Amino acid sequence: MVKSMQESKGDKIFLICTYIYLCVALVVVLYPLVYILSASISSPQAVNSGQMWLFPKNITWAGYELVFNNPKIWNGYLNTIIYTVVGTLLNLFVTLPAAYALSRSDFVGRGWFMGFILLTMFFSGGLVPTYLVVKNLGLINTMGALILPVAASVWNIVVARTFFQSTIPKELQEAAQIDGCTNLRLFWKIVLPLSAPIIAVMALFYGVAHWNSYFPSLIYLNSESKYPLQMVLRQILVLQEMSAETTGAAVSADMAALMASKAETASLIKYGVIVVSTLPIIAVYPFLQRYFVQGVMIGSVKG
Amino acid sequence: MNIRSKAWKLLMVGGLGASLLAGCGSSEEAASKDESVTVSKDGFPIVEKPIKLTMMAPDTGVQNWEDMVVLQETAKLTNISFEYKNAPKESFETKKNLVFASEDYPDVFYAAGLTPSEQLKYGEQGVLIPLEDLIEEYAPNFKALLEEYPDVRKSITAPDGHIYSLPVIEFNQHWYRNPLWYNGSYLEALGVDKLPETTEDLYDLLKRFKDEDPNGNGKADEIPVSSVTTPAANIRDIRTWMLGAFGMYEEELFVDDNDVVHYTPVEEGYKQYLAYMNRLWAEDLLDHESFSQTAEQKQAKGEGNQLGLFSAWHAYQLLGTEASDKDPMFLPVHAEGVEKAAIAKNGGVKTGAFAITKTNKYPEASMRWADYLYSYEGSVLFNKGPEGTLWEYTNEADHTKKAIPAPDGKDSEEIRSTLTPNYGIPAPTILTDEVNKGLTTDFDKWVENETQTKLLDNGARVPFPSLFLTIEEQSEINSLNSDLSTYVKQMEAKFITGAESIDSGWDGYVATLKKMGSDRIAEINQGAYDRWKSN
Repeated sequence: MVKSMQESKGDKIFLICTYIYLCVALVVVLYPLVYILSASISSPQAVNSGQMWLFPKNITWAGYELVFNNPKIWNGYLNTIIYTVVGTLLNLFVTLPAAYALSRSDFVGRGWFMGFILLTMFFSGGLVPTYLVVKNLGLINTMGALILPVAASVWNIVVARTFFQSTIPKELQEAAQIDGCTNLRLFWKIVLPLSAPIIAVMALFYGVAHWNSYFPSLIYLNSESKYPLQMVLRQILVLQEMSAETTGAAVSADMAALMASKAETASLIKYGVIVVSTLPIIAVYPFLQRYFVQGVMIGSVKG
Repeated sequence: MNIRSKAWKLLMVGGLGASLLAGCGSSEEAASKDESVTVSKDGFPIVEKPIKLTMMAPDTGVQNWEDMVVLQETAKLTNISFEYKNAPKESFETKKNLVFASEDYPDVFYAAGLTPSEQLKYGEQGVLIPLEDLIEEYAPNFKALLEEYPDVRKSITAPDGHIYSLPVIEFNQHWYRNPLWYNGSYLEALGVDKLPETTEDLYDLLKRFKDEDPNGNGKADEIPVSSVTTPAANIRDIRTWMLGAFGMYEEELFVDDNDVVHYTPVEEGYKQYLAYMNRLWAEDLLDHESFSQTAEQKQAKGEGNQLGLFSAWHAYQLLGTEASDKDPMFLPVHAEGVEKAAIAKNGGVKTGAFAITKTNKYPEASMRWADYLYSYEGSVLFNKGPEGTLWEYTNEADHTKKAIPAPDGKDSEEIRSTLTPNYGIPAPTILTDEVNKGLTTDFDKWVENETQTKLLDNGARVPFPSLFLTIEEQSEINSLNSDLSTYVKQMEAKFITGAESIDSGWDGYVATLKKMGSDRIAEINQGAYDRWKSN
């Protein structure tokens, strides 16, 4: 091996320290992932008694069997995919044009609009008024209740606006206009193709938010057939926690029986469900990550 | 001043004004009753023309309520059907508060677990309608029940004299908390044939669990007694029984035989309890994870056959074995100088299960529907499912039934949970031995016998009746308790684990509690108790 430059002692120590530090960081990040994977195929008793701490012990697939045979989880999966895909498309459809319009310095009343939009970031109506609005729009117990009220996120509009301001040169716009390009066409044919990073970043932000959200469904939905996956997951996990409370006063025989049976199933499938529900996001991330890095860096690279 | 800022101000003022106006808007008026429907006072159907109401209930997520056979049959019988606005059981509280806050009421609440203060608050606001007149006219079964058990009426009547909700009545469920159970295999290994009767005997037995390797694996991994701490209380699952040994009932409050209300954490018996637990802790007889572990972790220890004495609904559930009569129930022990152990018993009445709101157009019909749940037929239907699915009559005249085994080797409880809503929720109903007649297994009978001989025959009683506080009393108690409960919890853990010495710390602890208003809590509850008593 040929070395182009002799490494000094200091360099070597620094390098070693860097590797040690990175290894520690790797372990810290990797451990929970491995733990969950191992726990999902170990017997609950081994997990709860602390015998299983890294590699699977008393391997059992019963947890996954229960997950895959549970129609509610699949139904929740389907719903989550619908919410995520439809919701994210709508988010992009709303956010990008808004952000681009707000990024244009020749947009009349830009400061005003920006002020209004920003205001909602700091002052919101609160839970009950928001619920009333959704109710009066007739959206209670509809899929729209999870998609429409969160169609635009102010934060993301600001991020996208900053991107447009800093990366799309004004000269480009002027050149296009001299050639007779309309605003709509300008946005569609010139700005969007140049904005792949921000589209990917926005899609990821919104997509993950939709994927993980459970609170709106808890508030607005009444029928189980519309529950997203996270809600089903929550039901399983929380019921298990409640089993610890069966010691509460005046619990009925019924309730105790329910808790006991739920607790058993829950501890069996808990980790399996976590794996199944996070896998898609983990699988998608590497493909979008390229844009992610680019998107965050892009402003600073330009001279 | 430039134009922009002026415009801003105008806008703000306008916005404020608008929100004020919105606040003044009149809220929905109570629904005008639909007079065109006549409600028959007895017999079925309840109404001639089918009507549909909305119902809000907690959902355990087993089956859609529309598809439950029991609800369908009841709808056919009564001509009253429901649209369900259910919320998952674990987030029902959130949803319930939202429904009240947004005035988006269902016609009836089912198994809602409305607390006394909720009933009083929304009753006085007129959201929940008073039921006593309806009971008089349209609830023959429930009315008969109130006449038979005057205490039930006392417990469900609010201080303003109205009844805002119907209760869950479980006269066949005597446990106040899950019992403690001994690990039968431990007792057998040690040749114990007489269960401890005093705290000293218990101490000796626990010591033997620790030292003599009763699980026979050659390792000293036995944990004589283990417990779990929840956000609500420290080691609650065993403290009921341990406190009882010193003549104290569990929970912060109890009333003694002379009708005097006590605040437990300042009592002398409580101090002795702390000292005893501290001793168990110091000698490693009480699991040192009792203040930190989860129920699952305790479960894992049970399945690993490491526990000698523990709390569970049934011992076999924790030990992971089959139902058996080998694991005896804990016989309440008593300390020296205490004549008999205090044993808490479930009152069997829990209010807040069923309520009717002001938007309901058919309160009479709703009441008769609910009354059906308190009849024998209704109770059997809602709690056991329709005849011929999981049970059938062997003698219909005296209500003796026999179980039908579930098809395909399925668990019959699992099937039951798809038939009826009364599964794991505090549903309005009455459960008596008559409902279960003939359906109990040998194991059930054994448990019943253990309960009878060890708890009931030894003088178990209700520590504090379920009663109403007025809104002012409740809010005062809440504000006192927010400080007190935390402090009591902290100190209990410190005393038991020895972080704080009981001998030197007790007086200061009691003085702090008094300063925080512990006497006032006893006083308020004494007033409420006297009111309840004299009713």
